[in-house]
Amino acid sequence: MNFFRSKKLFVILIGFIVLVVLIGYSLNSRGHLNFAEKIVSDAVGWVQNIAQAPVTFVTDIASNVSDFKTTYEENQVLREQLSQQKSMVYDLQKLEDENEELRSIIDMTETARDYEPIYATVIARSPEQWVDQVTINRGESDGVQENMVVRTAEGMIGKVLRTSKDTSTVQLLTGFDEFNRVSATVLRDDDSDIFGMIEGFDEETEMLLFRIIEESDSDIEEGDTVYSSELGGEFPAGITIGEVKEVVADQYGLTRIAMVEPAADLFDIRNVIVVNRSIDQPEDEDEEGDDES
Amino acid sequence: MTRRVIFPLILFAVMVLSGVALELLPHQLLMGTYMIVPHWLFVILIYIAIFYDRNDTYYAVLYALIFGLLFDIVYTGVLGVYMFSYALVIYIVRGLKKMLQGNFYVLLMLSAFGIAIADISIYAIFTVIGFTDMPIEVYLLNRLIPTILMNLLFLVLIYPFIIKPMRKWGTELT
Repeated sequence: MNFFRSKKLFVILIGFIVLVVLIGYSLNSRGHLNFAEKIVSDAVGWVQNIAQAPVTFVTDIASNVSDFKTTYEENQVLREQLSQQKSMVYDLQKLEDENEELRSIIDMTETARDYEPIYATVIARSPEQWVDQVTINRGESDGVQENMVVRTAEGMIGKVLRTSKDTSTVQLLTGFDEFNRVSATVLRDDDSDIFGMIEGFDEETEMLLFRIIEESDSDIEEGDTVYSSELGGEFPAGITIGEVKEVVADQYGLTRIAMVEPAADLFDIRNVIVVNRSIDQPEDEDEEGDDES
Repeated sequence: MTRRVIFPLILFAVMVLSGVALELLPHQLLMGTYMIVPHWLFVILIYIAIFYDRNDTYYAVLYALIFGLLFDIVYTGVLGVYMFSYALVIYIVRGLKKMLQGNFYVLLMLSAFGIAIADISIYAIFTVIGFTDMPIEVYLLNRLIPTILMNLLFLVLIYPFIIKPMRKWGTELT
């Protein structure tokens, strides 16, 4: 009985119980902020918006200096690519026109590729690197919703995890696990595209794990580009995720896993685009269930 | 009257700044094997615990609870982890302080000890709930030691600016 009379131990015990309850609560309601959390996120986000400006100014100067060194070589490479691009633009224009024409014939106007961009700026990055989250300065009032894809100009960087009125939290690809995954695909000429899920990140090699769920004839190869796929029901198709570097068997030898190098720089993120899928959402819940089975 | 609001203001500013702290570090550090967590909030709390709190006041523990919770809401989404770790360790540091004199070396020693315990506690909780599966020896080398060193550096850097007002407010507290 002496144990319970000791006030300090009693307080610590209560604290521990509160901790367990709080953790249990937040793991259960993952993805949905309650009222108080939203207010705190908005208030802090407002200050972060202001604080972020001078910090960006300083880091920009530092990165500008280092950029100068590589400018010349980059210029050469870009020039070469630009000349190729010109002919591709012409081709693309022709194909797009043709596509539209054909679509209008079969009365199908919306595709899974259409999306409305919401432009946002990263205002904070979680100091706790195990959670891999960044905060952006757009929220529900700008149309951001949970589970939307977030990308930079180079490719996908993650998806929206939580939203409040004026800010939202983005889960980066590096923090993906079995509960946060993205359906992805590798395109093939004939109808044998390869499908799978991005479902993790390997810290040692800094590669994404792309689990291939469909055994297709055409084996996945090094250098293939992995795109997001519309089959998950949540994301628009055709957003670049990364490039295949290596294909290995999983730990049970049943499925193959491709190591994918992310196309976007996940460590230096400034301006992002939240992808708002404009096509009418089908019943997401059912489709998700099908995919995961 | 001013000192009732000054600490919450400082702590809030430090919490906001730790969100951009990683931007200030070179990206090679972030991408490499080392993980550095800015426990700046905790460093300020240690200052408050050692130089401001009397034997019968619990300001540091109270602030640790409040701002730990805010930190959890804004940066991790898992409530209670930082709140519990910070408050518990600040409470321990507060207890140890009674036995020691409040000077620079004691501050350094207690901070190194405190940051270590707090980060280990966070590691333990995140391991239990499955947010990380880092083996303990990797954690000790790649995260704990760099984290302690960087936070001690921060502590030493702000020492000249913070120590005088802190001592002054401390003596005013009756």
